[in-house]
Amino acid sequence: MDIATLHSIFTVLVFVGFIGLVVWLFVLKRKPDFDEQANLPFADDQKPKQQQKQESDHE
Amino acid sequence: MSQTKSLNVDYNYTVVRLFAVTTVLWGIVGMGLGVLLAAQLYWPALNFDTAWFTYSRLRPLHTNAVIFAFGTSALFATSYYVVQRTCQVRLFAEKLAMFTFIGWQAVIIAAIITLPQGIGNSSKEYAELEWPIDILIALVWISYAVVFFGTLVKRKTSHIYVANWFYGGFIITVAALHIVNSMAVPVSLTKSYSVYAGAVDAMVQWWYGHNAVGFLLTAGFLGMMYYFVPKQAGRPVYSYRLSVVHFWALIALYIWAGSHHLHYTALPDWTQSVGMVMSVILFVPSWGGMINGIMTLSGAWHKLKTDPILRFLIVSLSFYGMSTFEGPMMAIKSVNALSHYTDWTVGHVHSGALGWVAMVSIGAIYHLIPNIYNQGRMYSIKLINTHFWLHTIGVVLYIVAMWISGIMQGMMWRAVNTDGTLTYSFVQSLEASYPFYLMRFIGGCFVVAGMLVMAYNVVKTIRANDGALEPVAEAA
Ligand code: HEM
Ligand code: HEM
Repeated sequence: MDIATLHSIFTVLVFVGFIGLVVWLFVLKRKPDFDEQANLPFADDQKPKQQQKQESDHE
Repeated sequence: MSQTKSLNVDYNYTVVRLFAVTTVLWGIVGMGLGVLLAAQLYWPALNFDTAWFTYSRLRPLHTNAVIFAFGTSALFATSYYVVQRTCQVRLFAEKLAMFTFIGWQAVIIAAIITLPQGIGNSSKEYAELEWPIDILIALVWISYAVVFFGTLVKRKTSHIYVANWFYGGFIITVAALHIVNSMAVPVSLTKSYSVYAGAVDAMVQWWYGHNAVGFLLTAGFLGMMYYFVPKQAGRPVYSYRLSVVHFWALIALYIWAGSHHLHYTALPDWTQSVGMVMSVILFVPSWGGMINGIMTLSGAWHKLKTDPILRFLIVSLSFYGMSTFEGPMMAIKSVNALSHYTDWTVGHVHSGALGWVAMVSIGAIYHLIPNIYNQGRMYSIKLINTHFWLHTIGVVLYIVAMWISGIMQGMMWRAVNTDGTLTYSFVQSLEASYPFYLMRFIGGCFVVAGMLVMAYNVVKTIRANDGALEPVAEAA
């Protein structure tokens, strides 16, 4: 197998992987699955602020 | 003391504090050197006919000081802070973390000593330091990776927050870049030769150079952005999904774009074309990330009016957007034919460096300092506002001057008379650029003045009694 074929295979694999990632994120997973992660910067605050931990109104 | 309670976790803030304070210090030194360079380009007599004070020797000192002393210290400080707080554990291997601080400062001091003496590998931009220093850098960096990933491993949270993905990608890639690009055969303590030669050397160098931009100056600071923008805005990032796409797309694309630094050189044509295409595609995830950051503020835009820290962070994102629009454009071969070797490149560099890197770091440090010194806020919010305007005016003066000067140079150099001879001599183009060099110098003075205001504010905050500075009340 020559180097060009290898490169082509690699390119296709990266592309498929990327499409897979997008499908996983936007089709298989629901938005609330990510709310906990998105709130991690606020999870260790001493004094809970009101806006924290609420369902984000984003997206 | 050096530990602050929150959620009953004892965080190690000692290393964070040290790096945060040195960020400000090296920011002043590095940008001060930039102003000196700008002045030397306008008043050449300022080298005083002293070898170690010449432009050629101070220029690498400027780039090393701003990228590796200022920028990288900011990355160390914020990454150690963010990884602890989002994993809710104390740093792993704290002695090693302390070694990264001492080792990194030693690298900086060594750079300050060697570069003005002309010791270094001047054919490798952003990797000029000689081989003994390179070895120390590698040791510090591997320790950094151990501390960072060790902390991730012992985390108390089930997920790894996206900011840590960006920091982690930055740490791993920089290690690989540095080690591969610095491979050299030493002939004495202060002299070595790269193991690569010719076009291969050039390609390795700009694979390094571009990915230093992509992973240090971009991915690392995006990690900063993904923590400090939501935190300062008081709301989670606009779309967590988009941030995951952003990460993987950047990682997959950046590696292939380096050859845009070598258009029309001895590099094979197809590598130049790959670099061009990849750079243009890179526009998409870059803007995805920028929009994700800025839209985090949606529904809370009013905060920009009252909070200068948030303004630093959001304006930094707009400069990020600007330079990642400009970059792909300059990577198109026909545009590069005009821009290469001109001040346009220098303008692009500083819209990324002063606009994006410096502003996001400054914003993050203003957020960080009160938190790690048990204060509710910085000593003076007014002075942060002053700094914001000084910095913004300075950056705009700098970039606009370089755009005009750069495009003018490009046009003058390519102008030909009907008989095929050049219309302008090089000196004529230099004379035309002169006023813009003064404008850049003035812009630089504004920026450094802002940094001095910051230093005063930081010292006042650190010196204040524990908890004496009350947090600003949230405007309803
Ligand atoms: C007060 C602020 C600053 C001033 C006045 C300044 C000035 C300068 C000058 C005069 C040069 C040489 C340009 C030439 O050779 O034609 C330069 C180069 C450079 N500076 Fe700055 N600088 C400043 C801040 C920064 C910061 C904060 C960074 C990075 C975070 C930075 C990164 C660079 C880089 C990477 C180069 C090399 C550009 C290239 O090779 O194309 N500078 N700077
Ligand atoms: C999509 C993103 C970007 C692309 C495609 C891009 C592309 C380019 C291109 C085409 C050049 C000129 C090369 C030449 O003619 O010599 C360049 C130079 C440069 N860019 Fe970017 N850029 C991007 C973003 C950034 C950002 C965010 C920074 C952050 C600071 C940055 C820093 C630099 C530096 C330091 C240089 C000068 C390298 C040198 O010659 O010393 N770039 N970039």
